[in-house]
Amino acid sequence: MSKLVCKKCVLDSDIPGIRINEDNGLCHFCETYTPLSSQEKSEYLTKIEELFEQYRGKGKYDVIYALSGGKDSSYTLYKLKKDYSFLKVLAVQFDNGFTSEGAIKNAKKMCKITGSDYYQLTMEKEILYDTFRNAAESYDLFPKFAKYRASDICNVCITIIKQKLIEQAIIQKAPFIIFAFTAGQSPNPIINLSPNFIQWSRSLFKKQLEKIGVDDKDELFLLKSKVIENMGENAPSILHPLCLWDYSEDKVLETLLEIGWEQPGIADINSTNCTLNSFACYNHLEKYGFHPYAFDTAGLVRSGEMSREEGFEKINQELSKQLIEEAAKKLKLNVKNSQKILTTTI
Amino acid sequence: MQQVKSDIVDYLKANSFMDNNTSLKDNDSLTQNGIIDSIGLLELMDYICDKYSIEIPEDMLTPENFDSLQGITNMITKLAK
Repeated sequence: MSKLVCKKCVLDSDIPGIRINEDNGLCHFCETYTPLSSQEKSEYLTKIEELFEQYRGKGKYDVIYALSGGKDSSYTLYKLKKDYSFLKVLAVQFDNGFTSEGAIKNAKKMCKITGSDYYQLTMEKEILYDTFRNAAESYDLFPKFAKYRASDICNVCITIIKQKLIEQAIIQKAPFIIFAFTAGQSPNPIINLSPNFIQWSRSLFKKQLEKIGVDDKDELFLLKSKVIENMGENAPSILHPLCLWDYSEDKVLETLLEIGWEQPGIADINSTNCTLNSFACYNHLEKYGFHPYAFDTAGLVRSGEMSREEGFEKINQELSKQLIEEAAKKLKLNVKNSQKILTTTI
Repeated sequence: MQQVKSDIVDYLKANSFMDNNTSLKDNDSLTQNGIIDSIGLLELMDYICDKYSIEIPEDMLTPENFDSLQGITNMITKLAK
């Protein structure tokens, strides 16, 4: 059967598990999609404000913030502190060994502009490279639906970030962890964690690491057991305010450039902070045959935050040969000369 | 009880957690069989709370209650009473 493309978003029938209804031309996600209404978004924001009022001021920080230095996380920090200037924020930037100098500069600058404290989380580069290489060489490391959201490399990286941010929140007694996920990326604007769930998600990640031959006995990636033991009954909540705000990439960039954030000059349409991202996309395409940003992009198109044309442009853009080869060299991996994706140089 | 299991399987299939032709036994582990991970669990919890109008107490968020069709069904049956 020839490939069918959803007439509303960018998903197609060649992506494993995606079904297109031939009668109405919609994928099963668009068929059942019910966006948050303006009223629901407003109710969620009110709920978040109530949570801020109720739990802030109890420790040194109210918020542990995931700051990559890329455009979405920089913008969300800016708007968060503009709307809620009373929040005491510790912004954590994870240097995964591929964070661009521009992203580090932007992250520090955003902290200065917003009056947030900056903390760089990093590890020995070789350990990170080994782990990402193992993720690249793995197959089916994450569940099927997780492959829609991100590549195996990005899934490992973001899970490390989540583990370590929860760890920081517990150590700092901060009631909130904030990520700048868009509507296409986040399942829920407010996630109330619980000690049991934190323990369980740690054990799931431990098994995933073991699956790729990583024995994290020093708990570099995993939430430290001792921190969990001392957690008590109050677990932090994870908030995703960006998915409740009006979002447009152009508007976000315009705002950031006005306040002094600088374009990092990475030739990757999907990342303004990570030089591993192009390789991660290449690796995902080679292994699974579809773009790891397809589902995220489809979510933005479905919710009207991106036009369908922009969506196709995003997932069909050729990946940078230079970025892929540089990352592969660090990871000691070979790159196949794929005509389909390796035609652009910067 | 059978209806609850069928609802959960339909949800997992409709949201591409598993393929239409995948068969799942009542006690198969959802996490060890690569069907869900921690983010998937959060989404599944949301679905269950909405669908059955229940609140899941913290002490019930355990693998015993959430990692298999049987565990989930038992938990929902208990909470929906």
